[in-house]
Amino acid sequence: MNEYIRRIQEVMEREAYITDRQIATSVFLASALGKPLLVEGHPGVGKTEIAKVLAQTLGADLIRLQCYEGLDANTALYEWNYPRQLLHIKLGEHAPGTIAEKEATLFSVEYLLKRPLLAAITHHGTPPVLLIDEVDRSDEEFEAFLLEILSDFQVTIPELGTIRAESRPVVVLTSNRTRELSEALRRRCLYLWIDYPSFEKELRIVRTKVPGLGEQLAREITGVLQSLRKMRLAKHPGVAESLDWAAALVALHADHLDEAVVRDTMGCFLKDDADFQVLERELEAGRLQALASFAG
Amino acid sequence: MTHPSAPAADAPPPADLLATVVSLCRALRERGVAATPAESIDAARALGRVDLGDQEEVRLALRAVLVNRREDFDAFDEAFRETWRASGGLPSPIPLPGRRRDLMPNATPGGRKPPPVSLQNWMKPSDADGGEPLNVRAASDRESLGFRDFAQFGADDDEAVRALARRIARRLALRRSRRWKASRRGERIDLRRTVRASLRTGGEAVRLEQKTRARRRTSLVALCDVSGSMELYSRVLLQFLHALQNTFARVESFAFATRLSRLTPLLRGVRYRESLRDVGREVQDFAGGTRIGASLQAFLDRHAGLVDRRTIVLIMSDGWDVGDPEVLAEAMRVLHQRAGRVIWLNPLMGASDYTPGTRGMQAALPYIDILAPGHNLNALERLVRHLTL
Repeated sequence: MNEYIRRIQEVMEREAYITDRQIATSVFLASALGKPLLVEGHPGVGKTEIAKVLAQTLGADLIRLQCYEGLDANTALYEWNYPRQLLHIKLGEHAPGTIAEKEATLFSVEYLLKRPLLAAITHHGTPPVLLIDEVDRSDEEFEAFLLEILSDFQVTIPELGTIRAESRPVVVLTSNRTRELSEALRRRCLYLWIDYPSFEKELRIVRTKVPGLGEQLAREITGVLQSLRKMRLAKHPGVAESLDWAAALVALHADHLDEAVVRDTMGCFLKDDADFQVLERELEAGRLQALASFAG
Repeated sequence: MTHPSAPAADAPPPADLLATVVSLCRALRERGVAATPAESIDAARALGRVDLGDQEEVRLALRAVLVNRREDFDAFDEAFRETWRASGGLPSPIPLPGRRRDLMPNATPGGRKPPPVSLQNWMKPSDADGGEPLNVRAASDRESLGFRDFAQFGADDDEAVRALARRIARRLALRRSRRWKASRRGERIDLRRTVRASLRTGGEAVRLEQKTRARRRTSLVALCDVSGSMELYSRVLLQFLHALQNTFARVESFAFATRLSRLTPLLRGVRYRESLRDVGREVQDFAGGTRIGASLQAFLDRHAGLVDRRTIVLIMSDGWDVGDPEVLAEAMRVLHQRAGRVIWLNPLMGASDYTPGTRGMQAALPYIDILAPGHNLNALERLVRHLTL
């Protein structure tokens, strides 16, 4: 195994991110080849976490751009600080100097509000980690714009000229696949698919992340969650949900699962009324033990 | 500009390894995974950075570079195994996760029952949607199953269905209202509010108020009848839903015949043919009888939260219902009350002499805002103007 990949895996584990070779290899290649990493997977499997842990691992700053429908280039890149500009005009009303000179100061870096993409491009020192979160939620137009930024990491601001990145940020994009991303964007990126973790991996995650969790309870929680993912549900619980549930059970001082405690806490991992009914039927049929003893 | 955690330089991989990468890319292309020259170059660069003695690492690295969607993982693993064995690029291939034969429609010996006949028809190679190349290797296996001919819709129409669905989805997503609303980062300066706000600062406009066109957050819930009588249409309608699902985030799809199945997770992000396979496995009452009322009731019981005044409910059915018309009428009444608009697409309306005479149609009629034919692309195209609230 490559020395660096092993090291990445070690450091990520130290940051309490339970990883595997696939993740470590992709993360390594993204920084070694200088390509953006596109991370896809079900909600709650730790896609966003990768960027956070990567930033910690590299000792770099994390710059995050959360995508949403209607996100446009302005919001993501830069804006002029109008109030400050107006104030400047007002204060300089009687100052000497030509209009051209005044205008030049007005449209200088000082009056520029950097939004995440420009912040990443103009960042000094260690290249930052740029997280473009839930890119599938942005519009297609924005995706095209993003593609342009990601290919040359330079931006042209009409009043200022072209700004080029000193060093390329490490870019991580995440997608929940609510819509298909363009082929062009996919080609530009390395690809990583994170599946739901195996029983063993999830058990390790739960144990690591939730202190004070008893061994039996940890196994039962993981078992139930793994079983649920095999069932027909409207919304399958992710790892984030197992952690929420485990934390809730610890807070309730539970040391094992029974029907009553599951009923009281199932809102931690099921988020759909229809799914409540599914689990309720399982409980009524006395199948809790069967669910909890699932082991891969 | 090397990364701190990366090795200092690319060690060029041996020449025979490069040849292997090239043949791997060719093997991928044969399997319909487009690997471009740019990606081959990246693959070679990646090989310069990993431990070449570690086959698992080589496989993971090449996969991260050459494949860009999960659906192609199986094809990659197969191509990788083949290429590495043939080239002898690395000794003793490690066992890779085998191809998931049980997912193939003709893998009956494995125990899983094959999909219903109508589904098998749809999975014929002529169904390959535009993005997939026609020389997918399993094609000959599928043909040997002796599929029925599906004359009305060729591969050309498939592309048209998808294009239409995308157009509709874009309209839904980009639909802007004529009204302006205040916004922190708008498109235009809102002079009126700016002047008003400037009064507070002695007539000096310190803050520029902005405005933008309001967005209409319309969502769509589609319920598609997949019973026997709809067989000829539900194939195209499902494909339409698949394309819609993958271009527009706020779509929920369901299929029903005698009972209701939620299709959203099955259609999302997966290629059309693969989702058909999943749909066939999940929807057990495919091409069976119809109980529209009970299915709609089940929808309301379990998923009523999906429907509000900004939701367009699209029901695609011929209205042939063997259930109780009262149940259907009641479910339609509630649905109509909750939804912004209820559209019923009835493929039978394509016939010029059609009157909504079936008991089911009669019961549902009072609660339908728009009853339209859905038997061809033109009919679907005309649907677009009804898809705004």
